[in-house]
Amino acid sequence: MSDGPLIVQSDKTLLLEVDHPQSKECRAAIAPFAELERSPEHVHTYRVTPLALWNARAAGHDAEQVVDALVRFSRYPVPHALLVDVADTMDRFGRLTLANNPVHGLVLTTTDRAVLTEVARSKKVAPMLGARIDDDTIQVHASERGRLKQALLKVGWPAEDLAGYVDGQAHPIELDQADWHLRDYQQEAVDGFWAGGSGVVVLPCGAGKTLVGAAAMAEAKATTLILVTNTVAGRQWKRELIARTTLTEEEIGEYSGERKEIRPVTIATYQVITTRRKGEYRHLDLFDAQDWGLIVYDEVHLLPAPIFRLAADLQSRRRLGLTATLVREDGREDDVFSLIGPKRYDAPWRDIEAQGYIAPAECIEVRVALDDEERMTYAVAEPEERYKIAATAQSKMPVIRRILERHPEEQKLVIGAYLDQLEELGTALDAPVIQGSTTNKERERLFAAFRTGEIKTLVVSKVANFSIDLPEAAVAVQVSGTFGSRQEEAQRLGRVLRPKADGRTAHFYTVVSRDTLDSEYAAHRQRFLAEQGYAYTIVDAADLAGRGEVNGPDWVEPTAD
Amino acid sequence: MATDPPATLAAWLRTRSDEQLGALLALRPDVARPAPSDVVGLATRLAVPVSVDRALDELDAGTLQVLDAVLLSPTDGMSRADLAAALPDAPVEAALELLTARALLWGDDVVHAPEPVRRAVRFPAGLGRPRTPPPADVEGDLATVDDEERTVLEALAQDNPLGRLPVDHSTRADAADESPARRLLRRGLLTRVDAATVELPRQYGLALRGDRPYGPTRTRPEPTTTHRDPEVTDRRAAGAALEVVGRVGELLAAVEEDPAGLLRSGGMAIRDQKRLAKALGVDERQAAFHIEVAHAAGLLDLGGPHRDEWLPSRGYDTWREQPLPERWALLAAGWLDSLRVIALVGQRDPAGKAVNVLSPDVVRHTVPAVRRAVLATLGELPAGEGLATDDLLDLLRWQSPRRGDRYTLVPALVEEAERLGVVVAGRLSSGGRGLLAAGEEGAADGMRGLLPEPVDHVLAQPDLSLVAPGPLVPELARTLATVADVESSGGATVFRVDEGSIRRALDSGWSASELHDFFARASRTPVPQALDYLVDDVARQHGRLRVGAIESYVRSDDHGLLSQVLSDKRSAPAELRRLAPGVLVSGLPADEVLAVLRTAGYAPAGESAGGAVLTRPPGRPRATARPGGRPAAGPRPLRAEEVEATVREIRAGDAALAARRTDPARQIPGVTTASTLELLSRAVREQLPVWLGYVDAQGSGSRRTVQPLTLGGGFLSGFDEGRGEERTFAVHRITSVDLVDRG
Repeated sequence: MSDGPLIVQSDKTLLLEVDHPQSKECRAAIAPFAELERSPEHVHTYRVTPLALWNARAAGHDAEQVVDALVRFSRYPVPHALLVDVADTMDRFGRLTLANNPVHGLVLTTTDRAVLTEVARSKKVAPMLGARIDDDTIQVHASERGRLKQALLKVGWPAEDLAGYVDGQAHPIELDQADWHLRDYQQEAVDGFWAGGSGVVVLPCGAGKTLVGAAAMAEAKATTLILVTNTVAGRQWKRELIARTTLTEEEIGEYSGERKEIRPVTIATYQVITTRRKGEYRHLDLFDAQDWGLIVYDEVHLLPAPIFRLAADLQSRRRLGLTATLVREDGREDDVFSLIGPKRYDAPWRDIEAQGYIAPAECIEVRVALDDEERMTYAVAEPEERYKIAATAQSKMPVIRRILERHPEEQKLVIGAYLDQLEELGTALDAPVIQGSTTNKERERLFAAFRTGEIKTLVVSKVANFSIDLPEAAVAVQVSGTFGSRQEEAQRLGRVLRPKADGRTAHFYTVVSRDTLDSEYAAHRQRFLAEQGYAYTIVDAADLAGRGEVNGPDWVEPTAD
Repeated sequence: MATDPPATLAAWLRTRSDEQLGALLALRPDVARPAPSDVVGLATRLAVPVSVDRALDELDAGTLQVLDAVLLSPTDGMSRADLAAALPDAPVEAALELLTARALLWGDDVVHAPEPVRRAVRFPAGLGRPRTPPPADVEGDLATVDDEERTVLEALAQDNPLGRLPVDHSTRADAADESPARRLLRRGLLTRVDAATVELPRQYGLALRGDRPYGPTRTRPEPTTTHRDPEVTDRRAAGAALEVVGRVGELLAAVEEDPAGLLRSGGMAIRDQKRLAKALGVDERQAAFHIEVAHAAGLLDLGGPHRDEWLPSRGYDTWREQPLPERWALLAAGWLDSLRVIALVGQRDPAGKAVNVLSPDVVRHTVPAVRRAVLATLGELPAGEGLATDDLLDLLRWQSPRRGDRYTLVPALVEEAERLGVVVAGRLSSGGRGLLAAGEEGAADGMRGLLPEPVDHVLAQPDLSLVAPGPLVPELARTLATVADVESSGGATVFRVDEGSIRRALDSGWSASELHDFFARASRTPVPQALDYLVDDVARQHGRLRVGAIESYVRSDDHGLLSQVLSDKRSAPAELRRLAPGVLVSGLPADEVLAVLRTAGYAPAGESAGGAVLTRPPGRPRATARPGGRPAAGPRPLRAEEVEATVREIRAGDAALAARRTDPARQIPGVTTASTLELLSRAVREQLPVWLGYVDAQGSGSRRTVQPLTLGGGFLSGFDEGRGEERTFAVHRITSVDLVDRG
């Protein structure tokens, strides 16, 4: 019996023992066809899905390689049924091909007439097909390319897309690597994306996703449309692009609520695109304003997918999605895959941390016991009120103050979801509050003051969940959140993961009311980070040691275990 | 005189050596039980149709073709030389050896076919029966047929002379529209068997076949095999074995938790099957397979107070403690001998109703023999060589063509064998070889060393999952089943600990510190702080509300009175204790407490009785496995000494018979001779009891005393005195008759 690092389960999950000497080699072998599902400390879980197998086929791997990788690294005999299933699944790919026909435009052709007949009969697929040209060919309207591919995936006969991409209008873009270099994993991500044509790159917050975008633009050397979550994030992109590429201020346009510039590189917000007037989306023609060669979707997990369906010819353009987590609370990850493309690159957070590109972080959950009066209020509250009552409990206030006191020298963020709670915190902690109604100008001013260290503590609402680059923030205190959102948790942790100049450990606190919905939701949120390898320490508020005390912050050195 | 060839089967048998007779008995064990009294009795027994059919069933196509040639011979008896000439490419001598050894043919230079053998082969060489009277001009008749008609005739001249008539739509008036078959029927080129079936007479069949009257030579097919490293085969077999053992274990755990009900028609309800499929994460067909395998291995059976629930049997408790190879071997052996055709589960019966899993409708007594034939055929291949299922089928059909209809099951059986890991891609695995050769023990030996050794630890992770990197030692598996939930299973098992599972552990008597100890001991990685915290957090909450069972209470606003009752010796039999100020409780029923208190001189008044809390019964219910175990497939082979003794007995009987040839009533040498019938008729008429020697449908003989009632239609009905019931006897199975002398 071999002693491989991999255990293949009959439910198609693969367990990879990380400490095994062969684990790196094994990871490289299985990555093309298995999705990384969880990466806690000792054993990583991958899953072999039909989509992943088909992506592997599209990337040139065949069933034999997959079976070989499984058998070679597996510690135990591999379930036979699973191997058969892998071969069967991969065999389904490529029977159908989407290609450009010089006469008929986009067509669906087949090497297996029965399959084409089967899909043409399917209720889900038939409406997207045009005229039958001959026995093996059916015409497809170009605008249905994306939806057709998705529908074919659902019926289990994925089409190989050979229709290619339009190059778009050429525009010279180069990376300006005079005083910095693209990191290895960033380069791998760009290569993975470019080889696949379109797709999503998943990297932790603070790992430099913007640079992956910039490098992809330098690869495309064409006009680019960048879609971001908000104006502040858009301006950050602009600053980065000017600093890291040959692009100049004049070449980059901002398309937002405030300005409507269209330049070779245009940065637009999701919000402006989804703005409707008299029931119509007013800004969809932005997609046709230029012959874009590349479209970059920042924070792609927030993509308002239904709207992007309206932009018909996007499927023929290269699309790059960037995100820290593909988890969507609405469960519509599939939409992202069908509109943007499959996941092209993914790396365990802890791997990148180990390379020193993101700061090590200590995650601490502080449990606060509610006082009797609060418990009573909570017990009699309506179900829909309960979370708010637990999350905004007054008992949290002294604990938050105590946590901040543990880190007097560091830049701290207090993050919450309820405005009245934030206002209260702002007053109590004597710190400025940034929330939805704060103007862009005011936000920029406060962020600038925070970056310089003029302000030590900021209280922020969920507007700061995304794309705010605050490199100096080293402590985040989460006091309330959007129910059990895992993706929010990941984004908030991301706020403190920018590597610190002195390699300090970042601290991520979650203050939770004991024995309430608040702690239930917290457990749900933490699951994601635990699966990314972040171990949570849970302490009772009463046991929270102060600075310099036993178990206090100065005492705990980031140990390299 | 000595040079004359024997004239009858009995006479020929008498010329056979003891060894040859012994071999005959070993090859046809059904004729040896009970031992025939002499050679004539043996010949009679050999003529029993069931026995002839059974012997013919075991012959391969090549041998049967030689038999066919003898049967088709226009003369009674055919010389060996003629036979060899008739079948130039066939190994005639070897075939004759097989046939004469079984007394299906007899004779030395000229071989004869006994009448029962002729009757048993309905269509020798696939040719129909001769037409009577024979056609006058066969060639001339055939010359008149048109192309359409010739196609019909040629089709019927192949393997099967029977054809179905197409439904007749034509009216009587336009005879031109008649189907070709009907035209042939009218002209006598086909004969009618029944309303819808026609037969091609032998004379035309032979003429159509020309110079190959027996059809193409039936030589053994030599299918191409493909080679693969036996080690790879074994690894894959082990993969399948691991899977099936794991799944059956999960299945039984799920049934233990929530037993499945028995349908009135037998079997398990679709609803339960669906539920189990969901619990196992497989489709319903696979769930059915695992349920059937568990049942065949005696691990799942009927139980419960009314025997109306499917439950894990007592054997399950032993099974789950066994090492993996033994666990697998029990499943494989159970499957091999099961009388149930799993593939029929889920199929629709003629009424359109799907057959339920575990339904009694899928029992087929022949299926173990088919499974063994499949495995034996694969086992004959050199190591590493594999057969495609179609080739395997060809080979099986050649080996015993008369059983061809049973082999429709083969593809499904091969699939099952592959799922079990007995067969991998048309190759027998080591475990499968062991199973075939030495049953359950052999199977376990074949699989030993291929299945992973159990591990005694888990890896605890910060996301509160516990990964067991291999099959667990039983003790740890049991504990983990309590303190954690299974998330993914297979070679390894992923458990998840959460509030619910910790609470469950606390409920079943674990303390927080025991849990800490357990995790620290069981985990090879440091126990994550979050896990320890979770244990403490749940433990802190646990038991803040207390629930207990009492039968009755005594309450009073007068606390002093209660204290008095409590300390009063006379009220001690009431077993009272103080639960809270003002409340005493007792485990005794209210009326008893009332009685005690009244006797003690108090004046208690009863309140409406408090609700009793039901506790769970201490033991899980278990089914009792079927007694007896598996039925034997076919007659038990004879041991060498049995054979020897029987031959000796026959010889002795024969000598005795020769001495009293003149006494015909004692022994009737034919089967349904006139004297048998005469004797029986007389017995019926005069109401005389008779001794009957009788061989039943299974081929086992008996001797009984019968008071005959009626005789007719080939059946004798009468009162069997030995069994005390009225029975019907087939006359052709009666081997001897004698009047009971009640002097």
